[in-house]
Amino acid sequence: MQEQMKTLEYDVLVVGAGIAGGESALNLANIGYKVLMVEKEPSIGGKMILLSKVFPTLDCAACITTPKVSEIARHPNITVFTDTETEKINKKGEHQFEAVILRKPRYVDVDACTGCQLCEEACPVSVTDEFQFGLVGRKAAYIPFSIASPRAAVIDIENCILCGACERACPPDCIDFTQTEEKFLVKIKSVVVATGFDLFDPLKIPRYGYGKFKNVITSMQMERELAPTRPFNTVLRPGDGKMPDNLAYVLCTGSRDKSVGNPICSQICCMYSIKQAQLLLGALPMADVTIYYLHIRAFGKGFNEFYAQAQDMGVTFIKGKVGTITEKENGNLILRYEDIEAGVVKEAEHDMVVLSVGVLPHQGISEKFENQKLKLDPFHFIDQSDILASPAKTSIEGVFVAGTASGPMDIPDSILSGGSASAQTTSYLRKEEL
Amino acid sequence: MARINPEFTDELKKYGAFDPNACYNCGNCTAVCTLSDEENSFPRKMVRYSVLGLESEIETSLDPWLCYYCGECSMTCPREADPGELMMSLRRWLIAKYDWTGLSGLLYKSLTASVAAFVLLAAIVVWFGAYEHFNLANMMHYGHIFEFAAISLVLLVILLPNIIHMWWLTVMKPKVKAPLSAYFKAIGELIVHMFTQKRTLGCDDNQFRWFEHFILVLGYLSLLFTTVVLGWFETQSMFIIVLGYVESAVIFVVTFDFVRRRIQKDKEISKHSQPSDWFFVIWLFLMGLTAFVVRLFIDIDILDANVWMYQVQLIILVQWALIIVPFGKWTHFLYRSFAMYFHRIIELSAEN
Repeated sequence: MQEQMKTLEYDVLVVGAGIAGGESALNLANIGYKVLMVEKEPSIGGKMILLSKVFPTLDCAACITTPKVSEIARHPNITVFTDTETEKINKKGEHQFEAVILRKPRYVDVDACTGCQLCEEACPVSVTDEFQFGLVGRKAAYIPFSIASPRAAVIDIENCILCGACERACPPDCIDFTQTEEKFLVKIKSVVVATGFDLFDPLKIPRYGYGKFKNVITSMQMERELAPTRPFNTVLRPGDGKMPDNLAYVLCTGSRDKSVGNPICSQICCMYSIKQAQLLLGALPMADVTIYYLHIRAFGKGFNEFYAQAQDMGVTFIKGKVGTITEKENGNLILRYEDIEAGVVKEAEHDMVVLSVGVLPHQGISEKFENQKLKLDPFHFIDQSDILASPAKTSIEGVFVAGTASGPMDIPDSILSGGSASAQTTSYLRKEEL
Repeated sequence: MARINPEFTDELKKYGAFDPNACYNCGNCTAVCTLSDEENSFPRKMVRYSVLGLESEIETSLDPWLCYYCGECSMTCPREADPGELMMSLRRWLIAKYDWTGLSGLLYKSLTASVAAFVLLAAIVVWFGAYEHFNLANMMHYGHIFEFAAISLVLLVILLPNIIHMWWLTVMKPKVKAPLSAYFKAIGELIVHMFTQKRTLGCDDNQFRWFEHFILVLGYLSLLFTTVVLGWFETQSMFIIVLGYVESAVIFVVTFDFVRRRIQKDKEISKHSQPSDWFFVIWLFLMGLTAFVVRLFIDIDILDANVWMYQVQLIILVQWALIIVPFGKWTHFLYRSFAMYFHRIIELSAEN
């Protein structure tokens, strides 16, 4: 097997092609380093490319992400491998790393695919669309989402029934079921870890009824309902397709909660919920939006003003953690909570509930480092060995961390962190050159 | 003017409380509680009072007694402040507070004192046996007299004044203007809760827990009646003999299950056991078991040859009657039902 592996040589390996990894890669490529980006998903852009708008400016997320994504895809110094996972990374010496990466077959010739979507039309298999967070379905032959990069089809081989309909429908004949896994040995001088975060799974809090009550959704699902590339072209509640007019946000779902194993603040939920509330008031002018919070943490530049703006727009803020959610026959939901300011238990009815789910570490990358230990912090994010002086440094010299791989943070901070990782990588690489 | 005691949570930890200071006031405990409503906003209010050390607010409150510990608040507490165990500890603290002798507090806080008390009483009973030259008839005669004396003394000298103290703290001190009629109207509440623990059914957990407790209380009270009034150990009546067997069996079977659960810690309610909890369930188990065996020895006519068995039963009985009943966990039987009674009186007064 070792002999069959193709060897590739680059200056830097960036693991994860979200906004932080992308920022690092672009900065490094712009000053002349050769960068290999690996991304486990079929598209680059991470989570940001799927968002609606960003706080506190209400800029369109896709309008910031897509130009960056295009730049990454076309940059002469950047090579992008999607559908690819890192298998192992070993440090051979200073400025010498060896990684083994595994590229999974996409069963589509990406360069030949025009993104015409005829394969999608032909495919008879429908499954849940993970890029729309389960709100709608997709085919087993599909384009991940409309602004994906590369905008090329993927065959979901797990669900494919091998009927060949897509192959027959494809005009450029780019579907190729003979593709197999490819392993590469990559020699690099430095590594940037930008593996991002996972969202808390609210099934772990059964008393909120997620997965059981159809009109209880996650904030990421609401993000999709509000995005320009949204599935329904308006905001609808999934239970019966009714336009909601009384929505509730449950903050700290899976954050600051020891009982679900995540005691820390996710740093973004207050603000994205406030942002979504403002967008909802625009999308559904007659709707009421109530945010149930523990403490509003609006600490960034312009955040408190953004919070005040939501209050001025008529968003209701109630201090108290929602204890239980029950469903009425008409699909409406009863939220039971203690109104902390009044000190009494109350119940409120809403026709749609959004669980503001928290940020969890995306685990797994630290185990890939074989001969040196990539240390994690107590919450399983990547430990920053010198958080104040060199925030991108990790326990391994030459391995740097960017974005939410090191802890919960918002988009501006992720981009800053990506920039910091690229600067420190540059400084590490320059040391060799001098 | 409220007085605060900054050392209150440290004091409370001696009664088993975990870490009420971890609370960040989200109100989750109150919201998940199936017994909370606009009138009884607990347990967060009690957590708050405890953190602030507002002793006088706590000693005049009935709230700890209105919680029946399903454990939902502790299981879902985002700060692991364990409000359920806090309420339990407040009940222990209140038992100590109501007790005019101060012995409850001593026994709750000091395991050494508890063990010493148990050993001392055991030694006295053995000495008494020796004094009577282990003559079974004499021992049983005085044993029976002891039952009468202990019940009346404990009730009149310890428990009655303590209940009055509780009434003074929770009804008189907060200046509740309760008309005399309210005391009569609410009496039904006292009877119902004393004999059925109806409120437990409002908890959202296993109804089996209520059933077990219910038959245990019935078994215990009727065994007390059967031995003391009907003279189970002396009787020839087949009906009374069988009745006693059934009652004592119910006690040791149910308490065996309680002990098993406390060992396995399979539910929130059985996760934290203080020495007082162990003494209570184990001694109740031993009470049922030894009474059953003594009567069995009488029926197969071997008790004369095995006086030690009666001696053991008497030790357990004396320890139970003089430690656990007046100063230990047994008192929750009274305080819980009187709390429901006083609570109803306060409600009726508010309606006036």
